[in-house]
Amino acid sequence: MLLVIVLLVTASSCKKTFIELNSPTSLTPEQALGTEADLQVALRGAYAGLRGVDFYGRSMPIWGDIMADNAYQSALNTNRYTFFNDYSDTKGATAGDGNVSGLWASAYSVILRANNIINTTVASNANVDQYRGEAYAIRALAYFALVRHFAKPYSDDPAALGVPIVTTYNPDLKPARNKVSEVYTLMVDDLNKAYTLMTKYTNSSQFSKYAAKALQAKVYLNMGDKTNAKTAALDVINNGGFTSLTAASHASYWSNSVVTTSKLETLFEVSSDAVANLAFDALSYLYSQAGNYGDLLCADDLYASFEATDVRKALYPTGVRAGLAAAFVNKYPVIQGDLSDTKVLRLSEMYLIAAEASLPGNEADALTYVNYITSRRGATAIASTGAQLFEDIITERRKELAFEGDRFHDMQRLKRNIVRSTNYPATSRTVPYTVFRRLFPIPQVEVDANPQIKTQQNAGY
Amino acid sequence: MRKLVTMLLCVVLAITQIAAQTRTVKGKVTDSKSNPVPNASVVVKGTTTGTTSDANGDFSINVPASAKVLVISSLNYTSQEVSIGTKTNITVSLVSTEQDLQEVVVVGYGSKKKSDLTGSVATLKAAEIENLPFSSVDKALQGKVAGLQSVAASGQPGASQNIIIRGISSVNGSSNPLWIIDGIPVNTGDASRLQTTSNLLSTLNPNDIESISVLKDAASQSIYGSRAANGVIVVTTKKGKGGKTKFRFDTEVGQSNTAYTNDKYKPLSAQQYLDITREGLVNAGQTPANVTATLTALGLGNGIDFNWLDNVVRNGTQQQYNVSASGGNDKTQFFLSGGRFVQDGTTINSRLTRTNGNVNITNQATDKLKLGFSLNGGAVNQRAPLAGGAFGNPVLSSYFLLPTYSAYKADGTYNLTSASLGGLHNTIALSELDKRFLRQASLRGSVYGEYKILENLKFKSQYGVDYNVLEEDQYNNPLHGDGAASSGRAFSYYTRYYNWVWTNTLDLQQNITRGGDLSFNAQIGYEAQKSSGYFSSLQSQQFPPTTTLTYPASGASPTTASATISEYSFASQFASAAVNYQNRFVVSGSFRRDGSSKFSPNNKYGNFWSVGGTWNVDRERFMENVKFITQLKLRSSYGVNGSNTAIGNYDALPLYSFGSNYNQLPGSAPANVGDPNLTWELNKPFNVGVDVSILKNRISLTAEYYTRTSSSLLLSVPLSRTSGFASATRNIGTLKNEGIELNLSVVPVQTKNFKWDIDFNFANNKNTVVELPGGADIANGNFIIRQGVPLNSFFLREWAGVDPATGDPNWYADNVRGTKTNVYPGVNARVLAGNAQPKYFGSLNNTITFKNFTLSAQLYYNYGNMVYDTWGGYYTGAGFGATFNKVARVLDRWQKAGDVTDIPKYIYGGNKNFQSASTFYLQKGDFVRLREIQIGYNLPKEVLAKAGISSANFYVRGTNLFTWVKDKNLAFDPEQGTNSASNLNVFIPKTVTVGLSVAF
Repeated sequence: MLLVIVLLVTASSCKKTFIELNSPTSLTPEQALGTEADLQVALRGAYAGLRGVDFYGRSMPIWGDIMADNAYQSALNTNRYTFFNDYSDTKGATAGDGNVSGLWASAYSVILRANNIINTTVASNANVDQYRGEAYAIRALAYFALVRHFAKPYSDDPAALGVPIVTTYNPDLKPARNKVSEVYTLMVDDLNKAYTLMTKYTNSSQFSKYAAKALQAKVYLNMGDKTNAKTAALDVINNGGFTSLTAASHASYWSNSVVTTSKLETLFEVSSDAVANLAFDALSYLYSQAGNYGDLLCADDLYASFEATDVRKALYPTGVRAGLAAAFVNKYPVIQGDLSDTKVLRLSEMYLIAAEASLPGNEADALTYVNYITSRRGATAIASTGAQLFEDIITERRKELAFEGDRFHDMQRLKRNIVRSTNYPATSRTVPYTVFRRLFPIPQVEVDANPQIKTQQNAGY
Repeated sequence: MRKLVTMLLCVVLAITQIAAQTRTVKGKVTDSKSNPVPNASVVVKGTTTGTTSDANGDFSINVPASAKVLVISSLNYTSQEVSIGTKTNITVSLVSTEQDLQEVVVVGYGSKKKSDLTGSVATLKAAEIENLPFSSVDKALQGKVAGLQSVAASGQPGASQNIIIRGISSVNGSSNPLWIIDGIPVNTGDASRLQTTSNLLSTLNPNDIESISVLKDAASQSIYGSRAANGVIVVTTKKGKGGKTKFRFDTEVGQSNTAYTNDKYKPLSAQQYLDITREGLVNAGQTPANVTATLTALGLGNGIDFNWLDNVVRNGTQQQYNVSASGGNDKTQFFLSGGRFVQDGTTINSRLTRTNGNVNITNQATDKLKLGFSLNGGAVNQRAPLAGGAFGNPVLSSYFLLPTYSAYKADGTYNLTSASLGGLHNTIALSELDKRFLRQASLRGSVYGEYKILENLKFKSQYGVDYNVLEEDQYNNPLHGDGAASSGRAFSYYTRYYNWVWTNTLDLQQNITRGGDLSFNAQIGYEAQKSSGYFSSLQSQQFPPTTTLTYPASGASPTTASATISEYSFASQFASAAVNYQNRFVVSGSFRRDGSSKFSPNNKYGNFWSVGGTWNVDRERFMENVKFITQLKLRSSYGVNGSNTAIGNYDALPLYSFGSNYNQLPGSAPANVGDPNLTWELNKPFNVGVDVSILKNRISLTAEYYTRTSSSLLLSVPLSRTSGFASATRNIGTLKNEGIELNLSVVPVQTKNFKWDIDFNFANNKNTVVELPGGADIANGNFIIRQGVPLNSFFLREWAGVDPATGDPNWYADNVRGTKTNVYPGVNARVLAGNAQPKYFGSLNNTITFKNFTLSAQLYYNYGNMVYDTWGGYYTGAGFGATFNKVARVLDRWQKAGDVTDIPKYIYGGNKNFQSASTFYLQKGDFVRLREIQIGYNLPKEVLAKAGISSANFYVRGTNLFTWVKDKNLAFDPEQGTNSASNLNVFIPKTVTVGLSVAF
C-alpha cells in the first residue's frame, strides 16, 4: 500500500508540465517579439490593423468625403454611414455609434501594435531601425486620424482637449485626454524619428523615409505651420525619388489594385490583397456599382467642376441609381480578388501642400506647384491671384484628393461651413463649423470604462 | 461466487472423505420471494464438504459432528452463512445481488449504500430511460429528477439539450452539468461548427444505460472539484450477468408532428395577405394607382395560393431497434448490444439516424484480480436545416414567404427565380438541392484492473477513452439560394476530440470497533486527463453549374484552408472518507485538488472539499415502536467546488496571435490581455434534506432545501480602449441560487392484481445576481444582468396597447409607467419584464398496473417564466416587412376609431416602430404538457414459456401529446431553450409510437 501511495505521489509531482499547455496558434508577447524577424512580423500586424473597417480599410476615407461635400448616400443604400450623410445639431451619430467607437478602438489597437515595436529591446541594426521607424510613422498616422476626428482643429485651439497619448502598454491605464498641441508635438516628434531611422523603401504599402516626411508635411499644414509644411513637402518632391502621375498614366494608376514598387505617385497606401481583405465590408464595395452595395455617389457639383478634358472626370462614369441620374465613383473599382487599396499619401498632394504653404507671400511658387498638377490632368492652368488663388488651390485639392478622405479635414482646419449640393438631405445641406457633430463623440464604451475621460466628453453629446 | 467452481470440484472430492461421525442436515434454498433456488452450493464452512440444491431448491448434506456453519451461495445471490446448531432442517432465503444493487447508489468514483448517503443524489433506472423516442439521453431526463431542468430549443433530432441543475451559476460559462460515463468525464454539448445544433450525447444509445445518478450537492459533487458546480450526472452502462445467456429485443415505431400550434400564428392565405396589404397601402397614403401596382407586384391576380407552412411541416417517422445479449459464468460475464435509431424531424430537411454497438466484459482473473473492458460506439448521421433569420431556414420561409409565391412553377419544377420569391429562398427546393450533413461518431471505452490487496483494501486502475469525430459537409448550389452569389460553395469541416483519462483509486473499508459499530471507509485517488481537439476546415466556391457535384473538390476557388488544435489537461488528487456509527450516524468528507492547464500560473491548483452528515433516525432505539415510519433520515452537507467552463483553454495567458496578415505575409498582433490570476469559478453549496417513508413505503417524501453562492465568476471587465483592448476576463462577480425540492411518492392502492403509483416532484429556484464589476448593469440583448435581480431577466420597453382613437402603438414613455407615448421610447424606458427561467417546475407521474396491463402518464409543468417571440416583429408587425407574409393575429388590427384591440393600424412599411422589441413580443411561458402516456400489456408468462420467451411487453405510447399553455398569444412551443427566446427552429414533436419488448 505504501508503495502505491509513493507511486501516486510521484506520478502527480513529475507531471508538472502536463498541465502547462500552450496555445497552438498564439505566442506570448515575449516569444512573439523576441527577434528582429519577429519585429518584422509584428510590423505587418500593425499595417494590417490600419486595414480595420472603421480605420483606413473603409471608414476613414469615407468620412472625409461623406461628412463634407463630395460623397453622398444614394436613396438606395444599405444603411451604412447614414448618420454621417445626414448630420446636424439635431441628427447624426451618438456616443454609442459603432463606427465611431470602431475608429477609437482600431486606432488605439494599432497604436499598441506600434508601441510594442517602438519599445523593443532587440538590439539596434539597420533592419530593426527601419521597423521601428515604420512603427513611429504608423503611430503618428493613428494619432493624426484620432486627433482630427475627436478634437478641435489645431488651427482653432491648440490648447483644446485632444486624445489620450499612450506610448506604453498597460491594460489598466485609464488616461485623460491630452491637449491637441501635445498630440501634434508627439506626431511631429514621431515622424522626425521615423525619418531618421528609416533607410529602406519596401513597397507602396509600407512607410518609407519620405512617406513619413509627407505625413509630416500634412501634419504641419494642419498646424498652420506653412514654413515647415512647405519644407517637408519639397523634401519629398525633390529627394524622395518618386515619379509623378501623368494624364497618360492616370487611368491605369487608379484601376490598379496591386501593391507597387515603381515609386510612381503612391507614397503610402493601405493594402487589401486577395486573401487579407474586408470582403463585403471593403471600401470598394461602398463605391463600386458592380457589387450589391454601391451606396455612395459623387456629388453633382464636384462632378460638374471637372472640365471635359480633365482625365479625372473619367473616374466618375454616370448612370442611374434609385431612379436618379448619378455620377459613380470609380477610384476603387476592384471588388474581387486583390481589392483596391486605400491611398493615404500621394506625391500630388505634396505639390498641393507646397502650393498652399507658399501663400500668402509667394504666389509664383504657389502657381508653379498647383499647375504642376493641373497640367498633368488635362485641366486648364490656374492663373488667379490673392484670395482667389488660395481658393483655387483648395478647390484643386478637392478635385485631386476627392474620395480619399481629405475634404472634411480641409473644412475643419480652415474652420469653414460645409455647403453641400442638393444630393444631400435638406436637413443637412449646410453644416456650419459650429455644428457640434463635426467632432465625433468620445465613444460611450470609453466613457463608461475610463473615469478620467468621463468629464471630457465633447460638447453636445 | 468466485468460489463456485472450486467448490463444485471440492464436492466431488469430498464424497470419498465422508467420515463416520456425521449427521444429515436437510434444507431448502429459496429466494426472497420463496421461489426455489436450484444449483445453490451448500458447503460446510472451513471444509470442502458440500452439495448443491436440486431443482426444487432442496438439499441434503452429511456434515461432520464438528461442523457449525454452512455457507450457501449461488450465482446472482449474495452468499450467506447459516449456523447449524442442532437443527436438522434449514431453510435459507438468499438475497439477490440485483436487489442488493437497488440499495446501492452509484456516486462519484464508486457506490454507496443508500443509508450511508449524506448528499443529495437522484437516481434513474434503465427502465425509465429505455426505448424513448428521444435522440439522446439528456432529453429523457425532463421531469424525472426534482430540480433538474431539461429544456429543448429545437425539435431537430440530435439537437442539443439544455440542462440546468439547481439554477444557473455562471454568467459566461455553460450551465450544463459534468457527465461521467463509466468513470470517464466525457466531452458533451454541441461540438459541431457548421450545424445549427448537434449533441455529442446523441451517439450514446440510452438503451445501453443501466443507471443514472444526478449529484446535486456538495457532499456528492465536490469529489469532481473544479468541474462540479453545475452538478454531475453519473452514467453507468449495462453489465453482463452470469448464467444462461439472456437475449432481449426491443423495437418501437411511430410518427411525429408538431406538438404545439396556435391558430393565431397561422400564416395568411393569399387573399388575406392581399387584402390586408391593400389596407396597409391605403393607410400609408398611396394613390390608387400605386396600390394596384404594388399589389400586382406582390402577386395580385396571379392565382397562386401556396401554403408554405403546410409544405414545410410533415409527419416524421420514427423507429428504433435494440438487441442485447447478456451472460457468462461465475468468472467472466459479458454484455453485448446493438441498436438502430431513425428519427425524422417535424419539418423538411431534418433527420437523424444512429447505429450503435456495445461490448462489456468482466473477468475475475484470480481471487484477487478482476479485469474489465468496455467499448461503446455510436455513429450518427444528422441532417438539420438552418435556423433563425437565415433565408435558407424552411421554418422562416413558412412564415415569411408570400402565399402568392409558389415553390413550384406551373410545369411542376422548382421555382428558383429569386425575384418571384421576394428575394427570399425557396427552401423546399433547397431541401433537395443543398446539403447540410453531420456525421458524428463516438467511441467511449475503458479497461480496468481491480486488485484486492487485502480483504478490505482494493486498488483499481482504469484507463478510459472518449473519442468523438464530427465530419460536416455543407453545399449551397450555384443556381439558387445562399450559394448563388459565389456560384456555388461547399464546406467540409472535420472536428475531433480525443479525451483520455487515467484513474487510480485505493479503497479501504475498516471496522474501528470490533463489533462493527463504528466503521470507516476511505478512498484516495489520482487522475490524469487530457482532451485534445483537432479542427480542420475547408471551403471552396465557384462550382460547375450543376447540383450534383457537392464536395469542395469541385469548387474552382478555395477560400478556406485551416487546421488547428485546442487542448486542456487535468491532474487531480482526491480523497474521500466516511465514518459510520451503527448505521445511525454517518459523517462524510471529500477533498480534491485539481491542477489544470486552463488555470493561470498563479492559481495552477485548486482545492475543493465537502463535509456531510446523516442521521438515520429510524435506526434509533426510540423509533422501534413507531411502526408506521419505515424510514426517517436527516442529512446535510456543505462544501466548495468549481466550474471552469467560462475559461477558454488559453485565456490565462497574454497572447500574440497570428493572422493579422499583410500582403499575404504573416503578421502578428496582441490578442489576449491575459490574467496571471485567472481561475475557476467558485461554488459553495449548502444542502439540508429529509427522507421519510411511512406505512411500509406507501408514502415516501424527500424534501430538500439548498442554497449555493457562486463567486469569482468570470466576467468581461471593460478596459479603456486606449490600452488597445476592449475588455479583459477577470474573476469578479457573484450569483446566488436558493431553492426547495420535493419528491412525493404515494401508493394509494396495492393489491395482488392492482397497483397505483403516484410520483410527484416539484422544484423552485430563486436566482439572484449578487455582485457585478463595479456594480454596473451588463446589457445582454433583450436581457439585463443587474445586481439584485435574477440572471436572464428580460429588460424591454413596456407595451402600453393600441390607442383606440388613432390605432397607434403605445409604449410607456419611461420606466415608471407614468405616461404613454406613440413614439418608440429610448433605452431608459426599458423595464424588468420577467424571467426566462421558470419559478417552479416538475412533474406528476401516475402508474396503474392491473394484472398484465400498465397505464402510465407523466404530466410536466413549468410555471412563471416569459418567452420572447424573437421574429414576431416581422409576422405580427403592423405592416413592417410588408413584403413578407403575416400571421392570422394581424387580422385583429385596429381599423376605425373606437376599435379596442392589441394590434395597431396596419400601415404598409410599418406603424411607428411597433415591430421593435417591446413586451408586446413577450408572452407567458407557463405550460403543462402530457409528456408521456403509455398503455402496456405484458403477455402472460404461461403462454410465453411454451415459445421459450421469458417476457414480452407490448405498448402504445404518446409523447408530448397535449400541451396546455396559459398565454393564448404564445406563438410557438413554450420550450425554447433556457433563454426562452424562439428562433424559428424545427418544431418540437409530439410522437405516437408502438413498441414491443421481448426477452428470452
